[in-house]
Amino acid sequence: MNKIKVLFFATLRQRAGMKALELDVPDDLDVQGLRSQLSRDYPELRESLKTVVVAINREFAFDEAVIPANGEVALFPPVSGG
Amino acid sequence: MSLPTILSITEAEIDLNDLLARITLPTTGAAAIFTGMVREVTSREPAHETLFLEYEAYKPMAEAKMQQVADEIRKRWPVVEGIAIVQRVGRLEPQTPTVLIACSAAHREDGVFDAARYGIDRLKEIVPVWKKEAGAGGEWWVEGAYVPKPGE
Repeated sequence: MNKIKVLFFATLRQRAGMKALELDVPDDLDVQGLRSQLSRDYPELRESLKTVVVAINREFAFDEAVIPANGEVALFPPVSGG
Repeated sequence: MSLPTILSITEAEIDLNDLLARITLPTTGAAAIFTGMVREVTSREPAHETLFLEYEAYKPMAEAKMQQVADEIRKRWPVVEGIAIVQRVGRLEPQTPTVLIACSAAHREDGVFDAARYGIDRLKEIVPVWKKEAGAGGEWWVEGAYVPKPGE
């Protein structure tokens, strides 16, 4: 099992009602799998998770990326800085 | 001698004079500065008024992505000397500067205008910062238009 940290920002943070979550996930869990798992466990995030941008250890990550050991996964909407 | 590259996510007021001074070398003759500010009255559809903006950042990744923007500028405009990229976070009132991109070089033909333009456009694509808008209808997070691609 892999103990990971999931960070939420902007709309996701607001809908989740929290900034971060610690999860124990399978070693081979990929980004798509994490999105599915969170959609099931947090239905209030389901809509946001469809268009979410994902980062693993501060780099953008895509659906097939396997989450590394003790990875820091961030979930957020397309950025709107500036 | 290393060239000045100032990258910052800060709650502090953006000090244009200070940042300009820090990117002005003895060899510098030109600097292009872009500043964005909180717009109170928007005429473009949907027309509306803004009470304030609130910015949130994923700070460690934002700093890394700002470094990437600076690296991309240096690769594309190799004679740019100083680069400053500053994003302010927290609650910001109308007419307050929220972001600054400044690029300096020996001469204005050395790409400073284009580099600064590129810097703000690129920040708005890949730097993990979000703004929440407050207006008559309540408060809502602004969703960006850009989805990063693998390798970005």
